[in-house]
Amino acid sequence: MEEIKIKPVKEGLWVINGRGDGKPHLIGSRCNVCGEIFFPRKDINICSYCQSTDLVDIQLSANGKVYSYTVVMQRPPDYYKGEVPYAIGFVELPEGVRVETLFTGCNFDEIKVGMEVEMVIEKLWEDENGDEIITYKFKPKI
Amino acid sequence: MRQVFIAGVGLTRFDTYDGQQGRPRKEFYDLGSEAILKALKEAGMEWKEIQAAFCGSVYCGTASGHQTIEKIGMTGIPIVNVENACSSGSSAFRLAYQSIAAEIYDVAIAVGFETMPRGLIRSTAWPEWQRKMGFNVQPASYAMAAVRYMEETGATEEDFARVTVKNRRNGALNPFARFQKPVTIEEVLASRMVAKPLRLLHACPLADGGAAVILCCKEKLKSKEKMVTVAASVLTSGTYGHVYGGGSVKIHTPDTVEISVKQAWEMSGYGPEDMDVVQAYDTMAPGELWDLERMGFCAKGEAPRLLREGYFDLNGKLPVNTDGGLMSRGHPLGATALAQIIEIYRQIRGEAGPRQVEGAKIGLAHAMGAGPNSSVTILKR
Repeated sequence: MEEIKIKPVKEGLWVINGRGDGKPHLIGSRCNVCGEIFFPRKDINICSYCQSTDLVDIQLSANGKVYSYTVVMQRPPDYYKGEVPYAIGFVELPEGVRVETLFTGCNFDEIKVGMEVEMVIEKLWEDENGDEIITYKFKPKI
Repeated sequence: MRQVFIAGVGLTRFDTYDGQQGRPRKEFYDLGSEAILKALKEAGMEWKEIQAAFCGSVYCGTASGHQTIEKIGMTGIPIVNVENACSSGSSAFRLAYQSIAAEIYDVAIAVGFETMPRGLIRSTAWPEWQRKMGFNVQPASYAMAAVRYMEETGATEEDFARVTVKNRRNGALNPFARFQKPVTIEEVLASRMVAKPLRLLHACPLADGGAAVILCCKEKLKSKEKMVTVAASVLTSGTYGHVYGGGSVKIHTPDTVEISVKQAWEMSGYGPEDMDVVQAYDTMAPGELWDLERMGFCAKGEAPRLLREGYFDLNGKLPVNTDGGLMSRGHPLGATALAQIIEIYRQIRGEAGPRQVEGAKIGLAHAMGAGPNSSVTILKR
């Protein structure tokens, strides 16, 4: 029997326990010249704001606040194989970056602007080979 | 840079031309060429007089402008296909305008057309992993912005519904619109939820269609009556921090719409108080409200109240979307922004029939587009 593989929706979006706290953290880039922060990390070594090449990888905070959200009732035209309805939105992290994310672990009607949320790594869906695609999501902080 | 005039315009009825349920089947080149022929007729010009063609479309594939023009005549003029999402038509208009202002050509045409794919707009503006996450759903971006707007201004779903109601009421007076029947607030709020809090009737419908505008220098105008000049033609694209489907950043910069409209005031010498009639970009109902605010027609958060008071109605202080907007016309991406410009043209020439705004002399058309793009066109008599 073939082993089920677990694959991230995209390599390099997050790291687990990178800060030694057992939590997953998104990987971003910081520009040492202007202070701008990017998520996902820049794959081209240029700051899109000031065009400096002095960028470093950083780990972003694992918690934040809901900046905005919506509950999508209609399946997207392509690629997405998860459940519908689903909730997406922007979470503002303490670093000042607003990260787009899926929401999980709650009744979608409970989501409110300003709600405190924390990051988790969870299954997105199973692909046609039966492999599990995982991704980052945010859920209400208890 | 010399003044540029509009010689003639052409518009097809917007509808779904899919050949189903008794509807005719028309391809993008049928709609585009129909619009071009109408514009030529109104301008009193022959195709041979056109010296350059700028053709806006998004989903029609390679050489779409060429295939359209081939129906009418191939004269070896430069044909450039322009894709700027929902601003394709106004971007094509701007290229035609600039080339005449700079005295490169005396007569040029901007044409926009589209036959839309069915269902939610499929957009390659997002990277693959974000599409896998389900981020690439157009109502979702507007819905998330609507949630912020409601939080910051106290606007309600009903305020958004009122935009649809106003525009569908105006659209009932527009024989070129896909939908020519009014709707009520109750019908909007009873329509199915697409991306909370936005419902089906908060969103503009699909449509296919074509639109064309011929621009020229003063000497080439066949008629010197009711002359219309381009007072401003502005495009602002890719402003920092507002990348469509891109990643997240910390630094936030002035809003794309604010930047583009500021350029339009500078270019034209006018301000919001000078506009007699406005075409706002109502792809989703709340967008009309916050764009009117960003353009300076009222203070932030004020648009819902003004709408409630009838300020933006056909007989109001500042009529917005007099032809029914995207809500009534539908949204053939390549043609939409030109259709907006054409309605302004009709209004300031006194040719808008039952939709006529009395004494209109100066008007503004605004379109957004994935990119982002914000395009502003001001026409004056």
